[in-house]
Amino acid sequence: MRILLVEDDRMLGDGLQAGLTQAGYAVDWLRDGDAAVAALSTESFAAVVLDLGLPKRDGLSVLQWLRARHDATPVLILTARDQLEDKVRGLDLGADDYVLKPFDLDEIAARLRALVRRAHGRPEPVLSLGEVELDPAARSVTRAGLAVELTPREFDLLQLLLENSGRVLTRRALEEQLYTWNDAVDSNALEVHIHHLRKKLGNELIRTVRGVGYMASAATPT
Amino acid sequence: MSGAAPYSLRRRLVWLLTAAVAAIWLMSAWVVYQRAHHAADALLDSQLTQVAETLLAIVAGGEVEHFVKELHEHAGRNPVPIVFEIWHTNDGAMRRLVTSPGHNAFEASLPDGFSERSYQDARWRFYALQDDAAEYRVVVAQAHAARVQLAREIGLSLLIPAALALPLMALAVWWVVGRSLRPVDTVARQVSALDAQALAPLDGSIPLPSEIAPLRGALNALIRRVAEAFENERRFTADAAHELRTPLAALKVQAQVAMRAQTADSQQHALTQVIAGVDRMTHLVEQLLTLARVDPASQGSAPAPLDPANANTLAAVCAELLPQAQRQSQSLVVKAAPGCRVAVSEAWLRIALRNLIDNALRYAGEGAHIEVRLARSGSACILTVADDGPGVAPVLRAQLSARFVRGEVEAEGCGLGLSIVARIAALSNAQLDLGDGLPRADGGHGLAVSLRFNEATA
Repeated sequence: MRILLVEDDRMLGDGLQAGLTQAGYAVDWLRDGDAAVAALSTESFAAVVLDLGLPKRDGLSVLQWLRARHDATPVLILTARDQLEDKVRGLDLGADDYVLKPFDLDEIAARLRALVRRAHGRPEPVLSLGEVELDPAARSVTRAGLAVELTPREFDLLQLLLENSGRVLTRRALEEQLYTWNDAVDSNALEVHIHHLRKKLGNELIRTVRGVGYMASAATPT
Repeated sequence: MSGAAPYSLRRRLVWLLTAAVAAIWLMSAWVVYQRAHHAADALLDSQLTQVAETLLAIVAGGEVEHFVKELHEHAGRNPVPIVFEIWHTNDGAMRRLVTSPGHNAFEASLPDGFSERSYQDARWRFYALQDDAAEYRVVVAQAHAARVQLAREIGLSLLIPAALALPLMALAVWWVVGRSLRPVDTVARQVSALDAQALAPLDGSIPLPSEIAPLRGALNALIRRVAEAFENERRFTADAAHELRTPLAALKVQAQVAMRAQTADSQQHALTQVIAGVDRMTHLVEQLLTLARVDPASQGSAPAPLDPANANTLAAVCAELLPQAQRQSQSLVVKAAPGCRVAVSEAWLRIALRNLIDNALRYAGEGAHIEVRLARSGSACILTVADDGPGVAPVLRAQLSARFVRGEVEAEGCGLGLSIVARIAALSNAQLDLGDGLPRADGGHGLAVSLRFNEATA
């Protein structure tokens, strides 16, 4: 799942990028508000982790800009300011969650999972379709109750498809959500991952919509 | 108003005004009494003269017998305030012809004209007149008490209404003063309604008399200053929270990353970051402590004695920082004018200098040239640290000495160095200036920070 991290502190940004990558996210890290606005205006992210004290354009202003264009991407605010009015203002401007520095890496990861889940209107933490179940917190997948081993990339792709089950996702949308700017993407990498997923979870789960993209559906084979 | 017992302005005004008015009234009554006395004198003197002349005319006209008879008939009815004697000269001897009824004889040797004598145990005023032929002599007299009585009556006629009016006036003063002091109550109420957490100036729209408006003006000026200081402190706390929590968050995150790292490389990287983070926190804590140390509040007395050789201090601080400069391929040059000494304590000069040079090393970038100069300018000594780094736009220079403000350049600094220097400058009566530094190859200039100290005498 691709996350945009906006944090001006070099050491904290570096750590968060590494830590969230360990937790299975694809993390793009930007260091100022202007760059964040530029990135958010052209690409989509599963969530944004936003520091408030940013150079050039502060975090609240980025948030305001994002909500003004009716972009509902979940935003998790990082801040060192514990004054109530800062918190209230952040939430009023459309932040979805708020974490005070210093924080725990696991807490950030968990809150991000919850944000993404809620953004998809899903109250229960486990995604399921047919006999396949995916637990984002444990990063585990089962098929008919039996554990299935997936690579991190396959897991992320499956999560994306399950979160949007019943909807067709274009290749571009999938690639955007899976890869950071630093990842070198092979032109047929996506097909390879889909192929592996089908091999591990059965052919019926993921359907190819020709010329458009892929869709996860529980439709019984006809 | 601590210590002294409070007194009522109102009561004081009532007493003072009433006493003043009473005194003025008494004085004017005294003056009126005096003038009335004079007027009574003049009036009664002319009355005496007239009576004497009339009497003389009567006796000279030969109607003495008839007149005396009339006089005796009327004596009981009308107590005449004027008594008289008529004398007649016959064959060279004077004898009393007539005396007003019921009176003793006057002294015989009264001079002509006015005179005052004792008569019947009181003071009397006499007037003696003789006709041209010196045949008759008339002496008239009046008790002095009559005049005093008259003057006193006139004086009292002024004092009695005053005595009645004084209490009324005191009441009026009481009321007027109370009314006039109401704006003071208003201001007092406004001040007591102030919220210490959110100081706002007093409402200026309530009209105040020109005597009390300056009080509100002064209070508002004070409130603004206090609110500003308050806001500064609040901002400092918020900024300090940010500056302390961010590196702590970085430390924690990097440590967690190191713990979970799956490759040796990434673990190594995270651990290096942890150590760098501890160094950074150390620097921040040092700077905060230095800032607290140069806080005017913690600085009870005047700066310590002056350093006899500032140039040595310059050299010493530069020597300390030279390894850092060399690591970054930077050059560090000291140019001190001989015999130039600044009026600042050794310890503070070291702190200021270390921070200025450290800033230059941090922000001027790799390979920069840094020059430390101490030069005399008139009666001042100017300490300058100049570099040929990227410089700072003139509009941003003023903000740099605020706490936790860094330049636009990306560098690891905590943003307190120049605040510390600014504090030291303020405490040593030095002037802190940010200007163009050394010229760069591309035609621009780096940054120069200078401190203009008074030259040390002695």
